[in-house]
Amino acid sequence: MENKFEIVGIRPLPQGEQEWQKKRRRSRNIQKSSVGAFLILAVIALGCLLCDWFVTRDPGYLDLQNCSMPPNRDFLFGTDTLGRDIFAMIWYGGRISLLIGMAATIISTFLAVVFGALSGCAPAWLDAVMMRLAEILLSMPALPAAILLQAVLGEANALSISFVLGITGWMSIAKVVRSEVRRIRECEYVIASRSMGGGFFHVLWKHLTPNFVSSIMFMVVMNVRSAIVAESTLSFMGIGLPVETVTWGSMLSLSEDAMLANAWWIIQIPGAFLVVTLLCFTNLGNCLRRRMNRGQSNL
Amino acid sequence: MVIQTKGTARNTICIFGKKLFIFIASVLILSTAVFYISRLAPGDPLVSYYGDRAEKMSPEQREWAEEKLGLNETIAVQYARWLENALHGDFGISYKYKTPVVSVIGERVGNTLLLGGIGFLLIFCLALLLGIMCACREGRLFDSVVCKIGTISSCIPEFWFSLLLILLFSVNLKWLPGSGAYTAGQSGGWEDRARHLILPLTVVVLGHLWYYAYMIRNSILAEMRADYVLLAKAKGLTKRRVLYRHCLRNVMPSYLSIMAVSVPHILGGTYIIETVFSYPGLGTLTYESARYHDYNLLMLLCLLTGMVVILCNLVAQALGERGMNIR
Repeated sequence: MENKFEIVGIRPLPQGEQEWQKKRRRSRNIQKSSVGAFLILAVIALGCLLCDWFVTRDPGYLDLQNCSMPPNRDFLFGTDTLGRDIFAMIWYGGRISLLIGMAATIISTFLAVVFGALSGCAPAWLDAVMMRLAEILLSMPALPAAILLQAVLGEANALSISFVLGITGWMSIAKVVRSEVRRIRECEYVIASRSMGGGFFHVLWKHLTPNFVSSIMFMVVMNVRSAIVAESTLSFMGIGLPVETVTWGSMLSLSEDAMLANAWWIIQIPGAFLVVTLLCFTNLGNCLRRRMNRGQSNL
Repeated sequence: MVIQTKGTARNTICIFGKKLFIFIASVLILSTAVFYISRLAPGDPLVSYYGDRAEKMSPEQREWAEEKLGLNETIAVQYARWLENALHGDFGISYKYKTPVVSVIGERVGNTLLLGGIGFLLIFCLALLLGIMCACREGRLFDSVVCKIGTISSCIPEFWFSLLLILLFSVNLKWLPGSGAYTAGQSGGWEDRARHLILPLTVVVLGHLWYYAYMIRNSILAEMRADYVLLAKAKGLTKRRVLYRHCLRNVMPSYLSIMAVSVPHILGGTYIIETVFSYPGLGTLTYESARYHDYNLLMLLCLLTGMVVILCNLVAQALGERGMNIR
């Protein structure tokens, strides 16, 4: 009984440890779920790319004997009201849907980076004017604006629709790019590059872009998502791609007939593919955003 | 751009005048842009006036018809004439309905206001409620479930969600009507209207609710970590009192200004939902007029929508400035 009073030191803080563990567990969870999202997305994308290999039917063939067939062994996902095989259409249509999402995002990101960087480097009054312009465009409801623009360009094809969605979706990225550029532009390396005769695009590509790419990456991924949604909405309403061009959206434009035939598979299967793809993109975007936030808080 | 609002009455008038000037200038620019864009679009406006007869017309008849509708001149002249008439309150006639544009819109505007207005109010109140509830239960099951639902619902396109609801409730269960604003033949009757409103309203509210609730939740959480909350707590105020009297008060100005900005976005969403449910509102009208080149109708619809957008932005700006002054 010598050590009657034991020296215990500072009481360990179970609460703090728990929180730390919780944080770690949460970050691991995020990574796990984003890996899952990435895998699903990869399966869908590969399926769309390689569909020539495993899809035996022609997605455009109108098999009028087998209209509105529910899913069975011959037609895995059934046929639509025009007698086309939905299983084939899903994969071939996914190609165009994903392509439009990507193309629209590339166009809008390019526009956003150029506009944002120009605005960030411009004198104060020009910067104010350009940002005001971006804000005005941002406050317009996006879909009606896209409909109006598409009407000007006439009959829609995959390229024109991605162009329209590209030029209606760049504003929010441009605002982020501009504020990042304003932060970076006074740095020594930018001034050094400029004084050595580097042109605007050289400085933008070599020095500015690597510094703000992480902060816009999340928005770029989200932009793919909104482009796909917008395309499917337009095609669904009959303003976007015509019914003959198979995409997930234009497959849904037959929904009125499907409703009359009470054919759930025509509506639910393309929609399910659409929603799962969008969920995966959201998940990846959120993962990117969290990673970026974590990087910032460490500084 | 912070404007000092502490000044005298003259100052206030000055600011008001400036806002009015911005408003009128924006509407003018918008009208020019829409006028040119709609007329440059390919397509035949005569089809919307004369229907199928337009295709069989001889060149002379076409010329006569174009002259009658004033379509034979350059766009600039047409615009000048339109502007002159518009300033006298005459917006022309709709090519498709052959009645003055104002009366065509007048018939439908109530329906859209009903859908959009009730939807907006519901979103506003429910988002606030949900946000507060989530913030109180931060990190617990309720909070994470609501956040998860929010993420998932943001990925569901509105038109597909409407299709699912129609398929389930009006095709299979036959509980609720899936299209229109009232049963054909018997217009009126509040019960009937309400039954037709339920499905579109559900889509409007559920499509936007989660985003705003999430936003409220985050700003309340940020507010709860501020120092004054600690002080209030040390003073002995209850948690509820701190939340409602202090945190919420600070969150409100930014919430109000964001809700003001979001009016056009909710309105834009309503337009799509209206076309899915073939609800006779401004959305279906805009869609029709854009498709059939009903120029006069399209102009007024775009102007109305644009005016709402600009007005909401000005209100949001004013609210934001006020919020800054309070801080």
